[in-house]
Amino acid sequence: MSQTTVVTAAPEPKLWGGGRSPFNVSYGKMMTWFFLLSDALTFGAFLISYGTTRFFSAVWPDANQVFKSFPGLGEHNVPLLFVSLMTFILIMSSVTMVLAVHAGHYGDKKNVAKWLLWTIIGGICFLSCQAWEWTHLHGELGGLWGSFTDPNTPLDQFQHFFSHKSQAFVEANPLVAMQSTHEFFNYFFTITGFHGGHVTSGVIFNILILVNTVNGVYERRGHYEMVEKIGLYWHFVDLVWVFVFTCFYLL
Amino acid sequence: MSTHSQEHSIQHYYEGDQSKLYSGIINHAHHGVNSEESKNQVKRIWKIFWILLVITVAEVIMGMFFSHQLPKPLVAFFFLGLTLLKAGYIVAIFMHLGDEFKGFIITVLIPLFLFIWFIIAFLADGGFWLRMNNESQARHNSAVQEVSHE
Repeated sequence: MSQTTVVTAAPEPKLWGGGRSPFNVSYGKMMTWFFLLSDALTFGAFLISYGTTRFFSAVWPDANQVFKSFPGLGEHNVPLLFVSLMTFILIMSSVTMVLAVHAGHYGDKKNVAKWLLWTIIGGICFLSCQAWEWTHLHGELGGLWGSFTDPNTPLDQFQHFFSHKSQAFVEANPLVAMQSTHEFFNYFFTITGFHGGHVTSGVIFNILILVNTVNGVYERRGHYEMVEKIGLYWHFVDLVWVFVFTCFYLL
Repeated sequence: MSTHSQEHSIQHYYEGDQSKLYSGIINHAHHGVNSEESKNQVKRIWKIFWILLVITVAEVIMGMFFSHQLPKPLVAFFFLGLTLLKAGYIVAIFMHLGDEFKGFIITVLIPLFLFIWFIIAFLADGGFWLRMNNESQARHNSAVQEVSHE
């Protein structure tokens, strides 16, 4: 009798029967995912809007002509090199972040702190690169948003942003080319600015959880799930950069 | 009775800090960070890092030297394919979505399929307006020419 009770008393509980999470994730982590989903829709809307404007334009600036500078190299023509460095820094900081999350799974406080510190350093390096790029473009364009709106702007101020193939069209339709240049830079500063804002808040979050880790807050709590949640956010920021990189610098 | 007390403790976690239940620490902590399992995980992370790096280098080489000679649709498919591949690795491995329950993976991914429609609709609209602009410009030009001939 007692044997049968033991057998029937421990059936596998139903997945959606209550008492546990059917998805095997906590509320906080699931909501982090849904927040990132909504953020993905925001970034997606920005990038699709950029794409629509580009499809609507008869001519479009060439990334290899716009982004070809590297700090310290003067006017050397090195397209894509600087943004490749930025991409490398961000991928690297994603790796250090996932190593911090991994250490958190094993309750390894020392390694969580070490990898978080590297992630913060990577984030700050990326932001410094972006600051240099924006400063450089500011000097070249004489502004950030809203440049190239004056119809009397001389052609040689924006002609060099276009590829050799487009030069004949640009010379025949300078106003069309100026409009494209104006829109290209408006989208560029809006989207990379919004992404840079995410990196900035990610660095701040990382500093906060580093302080908590070092102070033993998560050790006392018994788990490092907060590191995991901030890790999700940080990887999302890297993910967005993968798409920004493709849309602005490659395509 | 032992099953009951175990259920009770899970219930206790669930009503208190659920995160303890799901954050993996109950499964992992007793293995230790130097265990074989942990080392394999770290190995997998570095493997993905190298894959991401190689893909990025391939993209940059393509962008620097070849993207202007090759047909545009081919270049676009090359870049978009590699971008989606990179995104897949980041989401599946770095964000650990690949390790979650299947139901959760589907729940997160399904809304993103809206993008297929968004991209097709908006880009087609942009292309359509460019064609409309060009055609009306051409009509306008030929009308101006006819007037000047008369």
